[in-house]
Amino acid sequence: MPLPPVFYHYFRTPLPYTRTLLLQEKIHQLQLAARRSSSHHDILLLLEHRPVYTSGRRQTEQELHAERARLTSIGAEFSIAARGGQLTYHGPGQLVGYPLLDLARTSPPIGIRDYICIMQKMIQSYLLRTHEITHVPSDNTGVFLDPVTKIASIGVQVRHRLTTHGFAMNVTKEPLEWFAQVVACGLVDVKAGCIAEAKGKNVRVEDVVPGIVDAFGTSYGRDMVKLCPQNAGELGEAILALEEDALAAGGWLKEPLLR
Amino acid sequence: MFSTIRQAARARTMSLTTARTSPSNIMRIPGCRTIVTKKYTEEHEVVAFDDETGLGAVSITHHAQESLGDVVFVELPAVGTKVSKGDQIGAVESVKAASDIYAPVSGIVTEVNEALNSEPGLLNRSPEEKGWLCKIKLSAPEEINALLTLESYKATWEA
Repeated sequence: MPLPPVFYHYFRTPLPYTRTLLLQEKIHQLQLAARRSSSHHDILLLLEHRPVYTSGRRQTEQELHAERARLTSIGAEFSIAARGGQLTYHGPGQLVGYPLLDLARTSPPIGIRDYICIMQKMIQSYLLRTHEITHVPSDNTGVFLDPVTKIASIGVQVRHRLTTHGFAMNVTKEPLEWFAQVVACGLVDVKAGCIAEAKGKNVRVEDVVPGIVDAFGTSYGRDMVKLCPQNAGELGEAILALEEDALAAGGWLKEPLLR
Repeated sequence: MFSTIRQAARARTMSLTTARTSPSNIMRIPGCRTIVTKKYTEEHEVVAFDDETGLGAVSITHHAQESLGDVVFVELPAVGTKVSKGDQIGAVESVKAASDIYAPVSGIVTEVNEALNSEPGLLNRSPEEKGWLCKIKLSAPEEINALLTLESYKATWEA
């Protein structure tokens, strides 16, 4: 019995982080409810965020208080997420992917370590096949161009075998200056890299979306079907609502407000 | 202590076929202290229930720690928290995945394993013993009966 397709949607306008968290949560609840009748869908959201720094669940609000003040003063949002991993940056020029999958569709279910491993390999193989960018192996999760340059990060949450959050891959140079303001992922000497810098060519986030969708389908063994939000019930409505919010939010800071 | 549990588990399986009307699947061996019953959930939690103290020690299974990878952080509930079966009571983080843990039974959290704060790797090395997460004083001990036996639990994930 073949697995159903993964429905994907690419948001063309950078999204506010907190509202996107709410969308993920909504989809998670819809999946949880629909799973009882096995009518739930697996979704892949592809997007950029407006400038935001996020931390995982290891750090407490107290620990982050000073960082929160500093980072919002340079013009970014700040949010704590329930995903694994530590402090990181999301913003325009970086492709963010949120696979919202049911790991228990297969029997036996996909283990969490395998799920993360496949995600990492997917990004590595996309970079190699489409951009001839080779990665170096690392003990740290994520994709590295060399021991001190990280091009993609992973941070995931799993509840009742339903996944939320996912991966982030730097495409243009725009995120790099923002990354330079923090120690991301707890890795002190590591800086951010991106496809544009690694290849010395102009690439936009929208250019990488089709290749990532393909790589995702191949790596996870799933057919990828473009979601039509107009025909997708409650899920589709929530997506359209978020897109409207994103447009209404207007422009964003291209670089941090440094004194 | 664990060889006693294994012997008791075998003996219990045999006795169940002849004594189906027995409401409790705890076996009492005359002269020895009460056996601890281990039951499992589909979400890979295991509770070791001691019916003398009414306490259930909650941990994740060996299979769970294998499929998670190296554990780097454990989120535990606060002592005194009242939980209902199925409530989220904490999380385990490994290789950038935070995986929620759910209360297998209802009750009050009486103790948490503080060693996990400094040694989260205990969950990998000794998931069902030294890496225990918390102890719950069961408010409804009969909930134990609805949980899975080791065999039924394995059937949920073995190919």
